[in-house]
Amino acid sequence: MSGKRIRLLIWKEFTQLRRDPLLIRLLLVMPVAQLILFGYVVAVDIRNLATAVVDLDRTVTSRKLEAAFSGSGYFTITQTPRTEDDLRPLLDRGTVKVALVIPEGTQDRLTRGETAPIGIIVDGSDSQISAVGSGYASQIVAQFNADRREASGVAIEAPGIDARVRVMFNPTLDPVNTMIPGLIAAIMMISLMVIMSQAVVKERESGTLEQMFVTPIKATEYLIGKLTPYAALATAQMLLVAAGGLFWFRVPFNGSVWVVLVGLTLFMFTCIGLGLLVSLVSRTRHQAQQAVMFIMIPTMVLSGFIFPIQSMPAIIQPLTNLIPLTFALQVLRGAFVKGSDFAALAVPMLALVGFGVVIFGASIVATRRRIAE
Amino acid sequence: MPALPTTPAPPPGADAIRARGLRRTFGDTVAVDGLDLDVPTGAVFGLLGPDGAGKSTLIRMLATVLAPTAGEATVFGHSVVTERDAVTPRIGYMSQRFSMYPDLSVAENMEFFATIRGVGRADRRTRARQLLEGMGLDEFTTRQAQFLSGGMKQKLMLATTLMHRPDLLLLDEPTTGVDPVSRREFWRILAGLHADGRTVLVATPYMDEAERCTHIAFLDGGRIRQHGTPDEIKAKVPGRLLEVTAADPRAAMAVVDGVAGVTSAHLLGDVVRVLWDGAGDPAPTLASALAAAGVRDVGVRPVAPDMETVFAYLADPSTRAADAEPEVAAS
Repeated sequence: MSGKRIRLLIWKEFTQLRRDPLLIRLLLVMPVAQLILFGYVVAVDIRNLATAVVDLDRTVTSRKLEAAFSGSGYFTITQTPRTEDDLRPLLDRGTVKVALVIPEGTQDRLTRGETAPIGIIVDGSDSQISAVGSGYASQIVAQFNADRREASGVAIEAPGIDARVRVMFNPTLDPVNTMIPGLIAAIMMISLMVIMSQAVVKERESGTLEQMFVTPIKATEYLIGKLTPYAALATAQMLLVAAGGLFWFRVPFNGSVWVVLVGLTLFMFTCIGLGLLVSLVSRTRHQAQQAVMFIMIPTMVLSGFIFPIQSMPAIIQPLTNLIPLTFALQVLRGAFVKGSDFAALAVPMLALVGFGVVIFGASIVATRRRIAE
Repeated sequence: MPALPTTPAPPPGADAIRARGLRRTFGDTVAVDGLDLDVPTGAVFGLLGPDGAGKSTLIRMLATVLAPTAGEATVFGHSVVTERDAVTPRIGYMSQRFSMYPDLSVAENMEFFATIRGVGRADRRTRARQLLEGMGLDEFTTRQAQFLSGGMKQKLMLATTLMHRPDLLLLDEPTTGVDPVSRREFWRILAGLHADGRTVLVATPYMDEAERCTHIAFLDGGRIRQHGTPDEIKAKVPGRLLEVTAADPRAAMAVVDGVAGVTSAHLLGDVVRVLWDGAGDPAPTLASALAAAGVRDVGVRPVAPDMETVFAYLADPSTRAADAEPEVAAS
């Protein structure tokens, strides 16, 4: 092992990066664009859900409940149909995303101390809205009950929907708070897989890999020299996203930096391994791109990065355990939002260790064999 | 000739390359088919043969970048399979494709590969300057390799290959796609290396280049069909060579091909190269046959055989079938 040769390779890699202005721009623009995309677009959309209210009770209580919804900022009451039958077309056309139905006699039931069921219908075609929207609604209803209990001193059962679990860790239910930690892991995965696999395939395409074989360089030296610059780049990108999240979007950070660092380092090995495997099966940079897409799409869909795992069909849910990003998200979101420690995150941490050992190990063995061939 | 610094060359006499039963397959395709080869130290050994003959595969195995399927090969007595670390420092390999970093400059590429090969800093500087000046590349040291012309790219690869003073150069079609002036220059550099006592194994599709080699081998179907010095190879073509000119060379070729005594007739430019193995004086026989067939402006003259003709003769399946077996084993 020669430190001199490794340093030379790293210098070469950075020199080549410097000569590729498009790539540098991409490396900077990608995290920023994704921050805006996932930070702003997601946040704004969920904030003003078009809501219909069917008030069949027409009492002080029902109007208070309505006011609680519209005053929350999450729901904007745009429609007030007279009957429940009028709701369906509104939801069908997407005019409203959420509907609140307050049945006749709600106030009477509450005064009698009974549970008063109310209906909350959420547009399920958008799982993001359905999960977050129902979460907000439950929270508002729970708050409404608490206020009433306080005001009257009469014990009232929660009406139908239990909101306590959902709102416990993320009281504002702001999706940015879970999106940004997730984005840190996702950026690392995209960056390492795309850029690293491209860099390795490029070397094979240009014939320089073969030229490298005739030199005394060892497979291990080559790998370290090749991986280090891209691990450093991915780290810089992650820091950019983390800084943007913490200082611009004011995402609260409740956990330990060590938990985040250990989780990300473990996940990084998996990402490097995947990038290397992609570069092994690809002859051209174009093929590498397609292979990355082949991995990224199920990863984004199944990891819970965009769609909550709880909203997936029961048969699909076990599949999410095969996606490394799933566990990276659990660690990061756990640390950011809940302030979870190592003990609480033992399962996802161990899963990341497992993925790292298997994927990184396999890719190193395969690459060494390919280089040694 | 460029001034290339000299180092003690390996002692002459011993074989630089020795291969026995070397074989390489890709799936069902046999690229190199149990080949024997001996390249004496100090030789400029030309590897001739049509596309797909197995030239590149052979060179890549000798350069240790491709493992043989069977057989063995040694370079300066070291196995290319089990003793790679002893082989690679002494060889320079120039692949058929341009294999420098396109986005690094001429100087950076040379610096990179020389440093990886452990050439010292001071040595790198003087040697790079000498090589670049010798090859007329010194004006382009800061230019990125991708913006060099075809000939300059090849020269950059050769210069990079020479940085660590290899005793054996393995060159895979180094002058393909290079203009004639650059080709001549390239061979001048090789001649300098030869004078320096270094061994060169060069694959080439150009027959005129074969004449500049001290030894040549004709490769086809993964085997060496003929080998020897250029004169020995030429002597293998039986009969006499004649050049026929005519107003319509194609018609002339068709006529000549049917004359008894003619072994083969090939069109080279606008002259017909005729190989005569019959009895009597071929010139009048051919002239009268052409006149009888009504071909106008006929001229027939005997010429000395050159590699172009030898190659055409050896590569022609009809003549080869009669000639090739028994296989000529390199010894």
